[in-house]
Amino acid sequence: MGRYIIRRLLLLIPVLFFISVITFALAHAVPGGPFDREKPLPPEVIANLEKYYGLDQPVWKQYVDYVTDIAFRFDFGPSYRSRGRSVNDIFADHLPVSAQLGLAAIVIALVIGLPLGILSALKQNTLWDYLGMGLAIFGVSVPAIVLGPILILIFALALHWFPVAGWGTPAKMVMPAFALGLRESAIIARLTRASMLQVIREDYIRTARAKGLSERVVMVRHALKNAFIPVATILGPMFAALLTGTFIVEQIFAIPGMGKYFITSITNRDYPVVMGTILLYAVFLVLANLAVDLTYAFLDPRIRYT
Amino acid sequence: MTTPEITSQQKAAQRLSERQGKPANLWLDAWHRLLRNRAAALGFILIALLLVTSLLAPLVAPFHYAAGDSSEAHTVPAWLIDLLPGNVASYAKVSSKFLFGSDYLGRDILSRLIWGTRVSLPVGFIGAFTALLIGLVYGCISGYYGGKLDNLMMRIVDIMYAFPTMLLIILMMAFFKSTFADVRPGTVAATFNAINDVIDSVMGLPGGGMLFIFLGIGITAWMGMARLARGQILSLKEKEFVEAAHMIGAGDGRILLRHILPNIIGPCIVAETLAIPGYINTEVFLSFIGLGVDPPTPSWGSMISDGAATLRAYPHMVLFPALALAITMFAFNFLGDGLRDALDPRMKGTS
Amino acid sequence: MSKRFTLVLVVLMVLAAVLSACKPAEKLVTTINLNFATEPPTMDPGLSTDTTSVDCVNMLFMGLSRLDIETVETKPYLATEWSVSADGLVWTFKMRKDVFWWRWDPATQKAEKKRPVVAGDIVYAVRRVANPETASDYAYVDYIIKGVQAVNTGESTDLESVGVRAVDDYTVEFTLTQPAGYFAAIAGMWTNNPVPREPIEQFGDKWTEPGNIWTCGPTYLDVWEHENKVVMKKNPNWFDAKNVFIETYNWAIVNDDATAMAMYENGELDVTPPPLSDMDRIKADPTLSKELYIGPGTCTYYYGFNTSKPPLDNVKVRQALSHGIDRQKLIDTVLKGGQKVATTFACPGVFGTPAEDPNWKGIEFDPAKGKALLAEAGYPDGKGLAEITLMFNTSAGHQRIAEFIQQSWKENLGLDIKLANQEWAVYLKTVNTDAPQIYRMGWCLDYPDENNWVLENFHTTKSLNNPKWSGANAVEFDRLTEEAALSNDPAKRKELYFKAEQLLTVTDAVIAPIYYYTSVVMTKPYVERTYSKAGHQEFWYWKVQAH
Repeated sequence: MGRYIIRRLLLLIPVLFFISVITFALAHAVPGGPFDREKPLPPEVIANLEKYYGLDQPVWKQYVDYVTDIAFRFDFGPSYRSRGRSVNDIFADHLPVSAQLGLAAIVIALVIGLPLGILSALKQNTLWDYLGMGLAIFGVSVPAIVLGPILILIFALALHWFPVAGWGTPAKMVMPAFALGLRESAIIARLTRASMLQVIREDYIRTARAKGLSERVVMVRHALKNAFIPVATILGPMFAALLTGTFIVEQIFAIPGMGKYFITSITNRDYPVVMGTILLYAVFLVLANLAVDLTYAFLDPRIRYT
Repeated sequence: MTTPEITSQQKAAQRLSERQGKPANLWLDAWHRLLRNRAAALGFILIALLLVTSLLAPLVAPFHYAAGDSSEAHTVPAWLIDLLPGNVASYAKVSSKFLFGSDYLGRDILSRLIWGTRVSLPVGFIGAFTALLIGLVYGCISGYYGGKLDNLMMRIVDIMYAFPTMLLIILMMAFFKSTFADVRPGTVAATFNAINDVIDSVMGLPGGGMLFIFLGIGITAWMGMARLARGQILSLKEKEFVEAAHMIGAGDGRILLRHILPNIIGPCIVAETLAIPGYINTEVFLSFIGLGVDPPTPSWGSMISDGAATLRAYPHMVLFPALALAITMFAFNFLGDGLRDALDPRMKGTS
Repeated sequence: MSKRFTLVLVVLMVLAAVLSACKPAEKLVTTINLNFATEPPTMDPGLSTDTTSVDCVNMLFMGLSRLDIETVETKPYLATEWSVSADGLVWTFKMRKDVFWWRWDPATQKAEKKRPVVAGDIVYAVRRVANPETASDYAYVDYIIKGVQAVNTGESTDLESVGVRAVDDYTVEFTLTQPAGYFAAIAGMWTNNPVPREPIEQFGDKWTEPGNIWTCGPTYLDVWEHENKVVMKKNPNWFDAKNVFIETYNWAIVNDDATAMAMYENGELDVTPPPLSDMDRIKADPTLSKELYIGPGTCTYYYGFNTSKPPLDNVKVRQALSHGIDRQKLIDTVLKGGQKVATTFACPGVFGTPAEDPNWKGIEFDPAKGKALLAEAGYPDGKGLAEITLMFNTSAGHQRIAEFIQQSWKENLGLDIKLANQEWAVYLKTVNTDAPQIYRMGWCLDYPDENNWVLENFHTTKSLNNPKWSGANAVEFDRLTEEAALSNDPAKRKELYFKAEQLLTVTDAVIAPIYYYTSVVMTKPYVERTYSKAGHQEFWYWKVQAH
């Protein structure tokens, strides 16, 4: 098991290497630089800025410097847009926010999605099933751009249950977590249903029933646990996506998370932030997938890693 | 955005293909089963209707998508005004000229929705098509030949996978759009622009800039499919009928095309049908961050993101595009689920 | 036991009585909730370029002069008075002696007095901006000060050669490269605010973080949670603190204006600019409409024409296009913020602009004249005209305007033009290197003088903007703007700028001014505030009534 984990972690190195090269090249291929202004700066001032950030070096040198700084000092470089803040500062400030929000969203997604999926599967082809799955498709169909403002209208402005937006208190977290979680809950519900339907037809369930175990025990102990495996597989990428891909919800609910840096760093040509966020995403994705594979082993005794 | 969705469906699709015995002749059966499934049939009809609407847009739409007078901006249809919450009635212009009302420049929302199918539907289909075309071929080669080649090809997919899809699209869109200014003949940019103009004029939406959206979505859509197809092939290529084909001396190409492909195409199509809503959603996101089609070309995504901004003042602006989107999503999901059930008889009616 | 209990009770009752007696006297609330639409990129005066950063700098620092928010005149601030030498080259500022540096400690919530703000702090600030190692964006604004350009461009490494010196602790003297009537405004610009050497040397780029920063303005910096909130506390020892009534300034950082509006309606914000899409609803709402204020702004929105690209190399086509824009309808039906039709480049309030001059006759909406000009140019009803592209940077607001104008030209001139948009950074590159036929731009004043507008944006060599225009009129334009910059005679400068504007917007129609911005804002009725015509607000002089 330990060797397996190490091997998987070592795989990160080539992945990160290629991703950093591609992003670096792509970011530099897009025209426009970080110091283009509405009223153009004098070439001398641009030269000063470029020198300050080491952008006067050849591109390959910039890349090498960038990678060595990360490798030896764990320094992801400065942000060109926010003077005085480094990419490390940005991670330190905003990653915890995204992590909290992402976790809350996943909890909401599971709390809604799992029961809905199980119910639909157990009552397959009944009104419950159609209702549940209808709800699930609905959850995927309403874009966050629309859902967010509607939540604000109902729960903040009309009912005054929660503050409109912001970050820092648990009450402020509810609506954005819900806006993020609803979509994911729909995905989880559908997957749980499909997986349950599959599992309850397996031979071991039939055996368990034949043994005379109560339906509850069969369902909870045997069916549910196995049906959860495919759900677990998507939780990893889902969490990685929630950590980073929440631009719209952050925008609507004024949340200081990582998502906005993915978009604004490109708009601002803030190369170190672009690179940093992409690498961060890759690390999370690989780690999340590893965690998922390890959960497999826990959930399904047939799976062993060596 | 679409990753989890694809993964889940792929799993399901993979599972069903494993149990699919000899499906080659089951196509007709599947078709009948599909039609008997009411939800799926409904989905199919809805999509067909959308396609017809999209083809006949110039005939069906009551107005031109770009025509309007801003003094008629934000009119609310008379039939809707009483249903809207808040005090919209106290300031909105009410008119029966436009069935679904008008937007911020007085353009007919219904007409723009109808023309918008020419962006949103192709986005979905192109995503699915490129996924099938590139992903399937890539996955087949990787899975069939295996070994070092497989290893290399799959590592490439791993790397692409670890990229945030959205970010890749944004970077590429920024790049494509930047090439716009470069119109010197002979350059890559000029070629892109020429192709883009052809596509725009075929769609009847000159100046839409659609090629770039298609490319952005297409380029990132194939990775999931490549993995799925490879997984399918791995489980098939050791099967007896493939070995039998080898024995009688069939070439690799023939085996892939005649024996393996028909066996895996079903699950792949199902997966892509279910992924189409994801591609359409991507277009909505791109519009939100301003990388959608060029105005005044209508797309559902741009209508939704424009409408969401005026949700409180003029809810009708977002209501209809969002409904259209939801209905389309339902249709594709119904159809996808139906296809899955139809292609995998075991999934159906066991209970 | 019971005695003691009675005593406690009595004390408590007295306390309660005292406390409740205090309350009615206290009519003001000491907290205000405001919004920055974006995270301030910096709070360092020398590095600030955007309005959010400048708002922060104004709260924390003081310049030698300030722009009066009512009259947009340059008034004494950190300087009590100033004088100019006869040749207009040497400017001497006398400084206040009662302004100090303070370090606020967020942990203990106490301020520590450091030392007085002296002339040396200004000298340090100006040299720091000039120093290429600081890499200040706005260094070029100081190029008018002797030696700054040479140092900033690396020609000279001698910081001492910069034309600023401390005559004594409270007198600072600037030497210029040429006379400039507007220099008092430049000396007071945020870029040249005094900054404290000690924390900058100690903390480097991190000197503006709470706890590190020394401030001398109306407030201290208490909290800066990036992308989330900023809190500033009143400096009770500031020289004019008796006129500052708000103790705590809570700034939320909310990008989305619809969200900010919802927060405002929910009482989470006291002031917010309303989303334009909500204007109809707000104007119809009995309460909200009373809280809406539309005041003059300090920016102009315009379309530029690339005069080297056919068919826009033909001046008649450019004039026709400018005549074909129904600006008032755009304002009434699309923008809805009470903007003013623009006929000049520089907006009203700027010294030298003919915007409100009764003799000024700019290009106005006139479809008949536009059509006639098109026909004269050889393109009746646009026939035979090559494809025209109008490009703007990606944004919902610009898109609406572009779509409207596209319609306007179609309707009024019979022209079909193509719209394209590019993301901001790409767009800037495109406009700078290979500008499309028509491009969108806007300009907001840095200081209220035409020099900041016509010369700095359209002079064919002194401005860095692209695309350039050329021809006899451009040469004349250059001459006019240069002469106006050097002149000390207000009447003559006005006349020169009148002519320059005429060439730019009418005779050669290099740009089509579209509208002058307004500042549109919602304010809760309990906030007693000022409205600024100068582009920045003086939040610290506001009051919040009990509510």
